[in-house]
Amino acid sequence: MHEVVTPPGAAVAPSRRSGLSRLTVVVGALVLLGLLLLASLALGSKPLAPAQVWHALVAPDGGEASTIVHDLRVPRTLLGLVVGAALAVAGVLLQALTRNPLAEPRILGVSAGASLGVVTAIAAFGVTTLTGYVWFGILGAMLAGVLVFGIASRTREGASPVTLALIGAALDASFGAVTIGLLTVDSYTFEEYRFWVVGGLTGRGAAVPAQVAPFILVGLLLAAMVARGLDALALGDDVARGLGNRVGLIRIGGGAAAVLLTGAGVAAAGPIAFVGLAVPHLARALVGADQRWTLAVSVLLGPALLLGADIVGRLITPGEVPAGIITALLGAPLLAFLVRRARVVTA
Amino acid sequence: MSAPTAPTTSGGDPTATGTSKPVQRGAVRLRGTDPALLPGRLLLRAGRIRLLVRRRSILVAVILLVLLAGAMVLSLSLGTPYVAPVDVLHSLRNLGAPDGTGTPYDLVVNRLRLPRVVLAVAVGAAFGIAGTLIQSVARNPLASPDVIGITQGAGLVATVALTTGASAAILAPSALAGGLLAAAAVFVLGARHGLAAQRFVLAGVAVAIALRAVTEVVMLSADPIDGQRAQIWLVGTLAGKGWTEARWIALTLVVLLPALLWAGWALHSSALDDDTARGLGLRPTARRVGLAGVGVMVAAMVTAQVGAVDFVALVAPQVARRLVRAERPPLLCAALVGALLVVLADLVGRRLFAPTQLPAGVLTAAIGGPYLLFLLVRGRRRNL
Repeated sequence: MHEVVTPPGAAVAPSRRSGLSRLTVVVGALVLLGLLLLASLALGSKPLAPAQVWHALVAPDGGEASTIVHDLRVPRTLLGLVVGAALAVAGVLLQALTRNPLAEPRILGVSAGASLGVVTAIAAFGVTTLTGYVWFGILGAMLAGVLVFGIASRTREGASPVTLALIGAALDASFGAVTIGLLTVDSYTFEEYRFWVVGGLTGRGAAVPAQVAPFILVGLLLAAMVARGLDALALGDDVARGLGNRVGLIRIGGGAAAVLLTGAGVAAAGPIAFVGLAVPHLARALVGADQRWTLAVSVLLGPALLLGADIVGRLITPGEVPAGIITALLGAPLLAFLVRRARVVTA
Repeated sequence: MSAPTAPTTSGGDPTATGTSKPVQRGAVRLRGTDPALLPGRLLLRAGRIRLLVRRRSILVAVILLVLLAGAMVLSLSLGTPYVAPVDVLHSLRNLGAPDGTGTPYDLVVNRLRLPRVVLAVAVGAAFGIAGTLIQSVARNPLASPDVIGITQGAGLVATVALTTGASAAILAPSALAGGLLAAAAVFVLGARHGLAAQRFVLAGVAVAIALRAVTEVVMLSADPIDGQRAQIWLVGTLAGKGWTEARWIALTLVVLLPALLWAGWALHSSALDDDTARGLGLRPTARRVGLAGVGVMVAAMVTAQVGAVDFVALVAPQVARRLVRAERPPLLCAALVGALLVVLADLVGRRLFAPTQLPAGVLTAAIGGPYLLFLLVRGRRRNL
């Protein structure tokens, strides 16, 4: 049985919500993201003044500030930008496709699939460059995505939140078992993997953002193309078809986009949790249920959240706390809240 | 329900004051049917104690015992050096004899391999029991300690302990505490509509995901050596463990034995729906929380000893239920299936890539994950 999960605020007239027009929200999100990008370049173990950052960007002089900004903070910030956008948009897509408020790359086991792909690449094929990882990450994400959707469509309850979450848990465990099996047998792989999987933006190398950007761009374009159709899907397949949408195409396009984005995002920064869960909900609370606006806001808020987590992680302890742990700590209470509020199919 | 004239509290409110209820509690008797006459049942009488057993359960239990004994002997004989099963049995006869009096294999069999095999049996049986209790209470085959976050709670605390260089002595107690805390969180989050609701499982899954995410990051941000140790612990392995851990698990089961015996009986009545149970004078909510509490304690204790051997608690009760063809998971058979699973998982893990050992938990997860998916696709969650 299918249930349409009404996102928060969907019942409210979409045009005027809490006095903020959607455009205001988008502009606000843009400003916030801009500020965080600047903060990400300026803050860290050696704080720099905005003027120094600006100087380093436009006229690098090879000095200390310039080196820090160029070699460390710019790659890190760009990575946060692309990965945050990828995970947030993947979350929007998965939530819309499964009609399920809890859908998120990590919860559905798609991230676990990507992780397994990366570990297989290291252990079995000796791949050590990110360009190699990405493909394996995407393959793994694809495998997991196909499994999730395939199994969800075969269960009696369709894609109820519980069923989906459990399918994700099962996949997570199965993939995790194979992953850990590979890691146990091979300590070299554990070292490589450890470096990659911490789920953060540090030490990824300056070339990484550019390497994954094409995949993520394609994913975002696909997402933009299916955005209108996602709104129709929320009304149920029959209605969507009646409105002249090609449901199968929308599903495949949206699914492919989600898999591309997750695979590339996870391959680049490790399985960062909850960005894909938190941002879409936040976006919908701000702009209502229209998927195109939700996507537009998520693309901005995803990087904002990830960069914010990364900056917090830099500042709270002398050693750095990876962004992944900050997002996990932020996401856990949110997940609890969603569970309490979710309408669950009563068996 | 006839309304009593005296103002009594409603039976459904567990917070009601402990006044003795006018209803007499005791054994459920079905009038007009002599239980001994039910087909496929045996009535065992010992004085006033009467025990009704299904013939099929006995048969299944005996077969499982034989299989388990076989698996244990196999696990004792395989490895380097290989010890023929006959010699294994000889060595076992010499158990406890002073050193140097027995066969040359005594050391390998009794000292090196037996502790680990016995531990495997204890771990599997305990997980089987814990899983049965929690699944029966939630009336949901998916509500097993490793799905609803109890194992993950123990895992998180243990990972923190392992990666911060805490002493080994506090590992087990802290993991135990972590498991109990996680269970408490799930209860608070999910038990608003009774433990049988889907929300309970969903809350558990959510707690499990959150805890696992945090654990992973803690583990991987740590020193590499600690990280790998934590990783192996998290998967659950019996390598390098033996009597000490087995003793703790056995002790837990013995201490909780009265509770388990009560549970075996209570499982029958918790299968009734709440109104019926109340009508018979039972207190369903209190009983559920009690049963689940015992299950949680057992699961947390085992996890504390050997790490998170995933999915045994999920799979064992369900396999046992299908073997016995019962509506509910049978306690004893579930324990036997669990023991058999873990002994085999440990054996395969030891020998598959020898000399490298795979943690037993890798194998149980590799089997259990697909099995969970199979359960979901079958989607028979009503008839537990």
